[in-house]
Amino acid sequence: MAIDVEHFTRSYGSFTAVDDLSLRVTAGEIVGLIGPNGAGKTTTLRALAGILRPTSGRIAIDGHDLATNAIQAKRRLAFMPDEPHLFEYLTVEEHLRLTARLYTVADFDARAKALIDELELAGKERSLPGELSRGMRQKVVIACGLVRDASVLLFDEPLTGLDPIGIRKMRSTIVARGRAGAAILVSSHLLHLVEEICTRVVIMDRGRKVADGTVAELASKAEAAAGSNLEQIFLRVTGRE
Amino acid sequence: MLGASLYISWCSAKNRVLVRLRRLREPRYLIGAVAGVAYFYFAIFARGQRAGRGPGRGQDRGIDFGPAFQSGGMSLAGLFALCFALVPWVLPARSKLLEFSEAEREFLFPAPVSRRQLLAHRIVRSQVGSIIASVFIGLFAAPIAGVARLRLAFAFWILAVTINVYGAAVSLTRARFQSPNANVRRSAWLPIGILAGAVAVVATSIGRQLLRQPPASAADLFVQLARVTSTGLTRVVLWPFIAIVSPPFGGSAAFIPAFASALLVLSAVIAWMLLNDSMFDEVAGQSQSAQADVDQTPASGTTTRSTRIGWTLPLTGRAELALFWKGVMETVRAVNIKSWRIVPPLIGLSVGLVGASFGIAGAQRMRGPSAFITAFGCLAAGVATLFGPQMMRLDLRSDFAHLDLLKSWPMRAADVIRGEMAWPVAAVSGVACFAILTAALFSGAGLPQVRFVDRWAVAIAVVIAAPAMIAAQFTVHNAATVLFPAWVQLGTQRTRGIDAMGQRLVMLAAVLVSLLLFAVPGAIGAGVIWLIFHRLVGAVVLIPMALVFAAIVLTEVLAVTELLGPAYEKIDVTSVERPE
Repeated sequence: MAIDVEHFTRSYGSFTAVDDLSLRVTAGEIVGLIGPNGAGKTTTLRALAGILRPTSGRIAIDGHDLATNAIQAKRRLAFMPDEPHLFEYLTVEEHLRLTARLYTVADFDARAKALIDELELAGKERSLPGELSRGMRQKVVIACGLVRDASVLLFDEPLTGLDPIGIRKMRSTIVARGRAGAAILVSSHLLHLVEEICTRVVIMDRGRKVADGTVAELASKAEAAAGSNLEQIFLRVTGRE
Repeated sequence: MLGASLYISWCSAKNRVLVRLRRLREPRYLIGAVAGVAYFYFAIFARGQRAGRGPGRGQDRGIDFGPAFQSGGMSLAGLFALCFALVPWVLPARSKLLEFSEAEREFLFPAPVSRRQLLAHRIVRSQVGSIIASVFIGLFAAPIAGVARLRLAFAFWILAVTINVYGAAVSLTRARFQSPNANVRRSAWLPIGILAGAVAVVATSIGRQLLRQPPASAADLFVQLARVTSTGLTRVVLWPFIAIVSPPFGGSAAFIPAFASALLVLSAVIAWMLLNDSMFDEVAGQSQSAQADVDQTPASGTTTRSTRIGWTLPLTGRAELALFWKGVMETVRAVNIKSWRIVPPLIGLSVGLVGASFGIAGAQRMRGPSAFITAFGCLAAGVATLFGPQMMRLDLRSDFAHLDLLKSWPMRAADVIRGEMAWPVAAVSGVACFAILTAALFSGAGLPQVRFVDRWAVAIAVVIAAPAMIAAQFTVHNAATVLFPAWVQLGTQRTRGIDAMGQRLVMLAAVLVSLLLFAVPGAIGAGVIWLIFHRLVGAVVLIPMALVFAAIVLTEVLAVTELLGPAYEKIDVTSVERPE
């Protein structure tokens, strides 16, 4: 199991952001994590990335427990947050090189060049973050995530700030990585994107998992009308219809 | 708009206090708050009570500088203020008043308010900081009591606001020179012309006086300066500068007219700033691009350009070295136009070191440039060793803004901490070692009475021991960062609040105690070496002593960074206070 979450709970003081979440993602699966604002999606992703510690429960990446074997678990995952925080005085190429060094990437030059072309960052290799637009910086964060061979990819709103061409490319990039065998968890409010690229969807609301399955399974469970799209299912499941 | 500005200021201040109060539920922050309250009590109230029992109890005791100062002294203060007013023209710096936060840019820039109103908003928002600083000055002013404290607070407030607004006005005026419109560029010369005229009048008067009667001593120079600046046209020209610095020095009767004069000058400076609102987009845009991590879009040509360093990070090796490389890149690239900010403190430090060096050389009856360089090198090494780790914050303290990223890396916590410390330790150690070796090179001429072997034994011992002490200090600072994440200052942000003040006191005490704890085992080991060998080899024994000392301290550093690992893993990133 690439991602294995068992009874994960995360609290901030008296507020419980995620409550008893269990979730599994296998290799090659692209799972969409959706839910209204404050549902606990980002907290879940940050805990999966090893940034937040669970208040209780267990998280394992490729069989490595994040609490007891954090380094091996982190080595196998790539987290692409929605807010691109980059080092102010490192260039695009240096960010990629630093990531490659930390994750021990062998064929860095070829990978970096391919990624720079794929994400349309060519010509910006020597730019500092301050010289890049929001979308460009988002692409750098994604490039840092993809430069290594991570078996688990976590995307938090991956399309934020991207232009239409970037969105299209990103969509095909995610699908290609899934086909190549990566386990992918994508959190997004763009339900049409989730419906289009994800093999399975998990819906969270108020910190709890309220539905899990393919779009057809969710429609059936929610007793939605035949031919309902993910948006209609989502509204029905979360009681906001 | 004024109502909105006051609303933002009030709500932000109120909620900030509430956040800090909630934070006190954690014992470590409560300890900081208790230390802060205790410091307040003993520094202000207990002292006030002791003063109240003495003669003059309950009186409005202000600073009495006497009538002589009121005439000559005030003119000299005005002369100093005139010189100070030249600084932002000569050394352009980004005005803090024109640095809008991300939230301000997103909420207010698109709002239907004029640029002039936005400038006024920044003046209003800056008042919280100015008022708090002024109240603290009033409370902590040692020789005064009663209403005089309040007067001092008001005097400091008007001075601080005037300096802030003046800096912003200069930035806006300077921006006029970039305008493609010739009329706009020409208008920028008006305030420069007025200031240049004032400087010419004052300089001519002073020059004539000094040529007529060359000063016999430093004291005589001050007397003559005071005489020439307190009469005639010079006095008239200096009036605005005298007006702004005079409120703290008057008694209760003189305060109101002095404050009114200062208020008049402040009003004129505010009017000047607001009249330059057409340059707002130029200057606010530059400030925006400078805040690289919150930029939305680049402003071509205004951002820092990357420079080739000539050191490519190898793709294999220890992870700590990758962080060392990152530190080097950041340091080299940060030394650009932003370095102007460090020019004034650097000048101050250099002046202090040079002065102290002359003092030491004089006291030791050392003569000549070699003596001065020797004294200067020793002092610089001492300052770098003792204060370098406090000043150079390019470690976990500055990288806390990237804590999310750091925590997602596949690195052991202890390796992250050591990697973050590696470059600043090396840089500060490099400065200290260079300084002491320079001193040693010139010590032959500066200290001929000390034997060559002894001088170099001391120098080599310092070169060995100083990096260990520097590493120990960085360890203490980074330990505090890991253990008290809410107290970390992100970038230039300075945490405020009584618990933060207590934290700084606790930190200061903790650094001293921790350094002592770090040094004691090393000192014992070095002492043993001294007892065994000093009779045999004399001063050379200092070298093995330093080696033992450094080995023990560095072992402690390794052990402490390992012990900090679990605490680093447990850091709650949400507890790090981020700037607006």
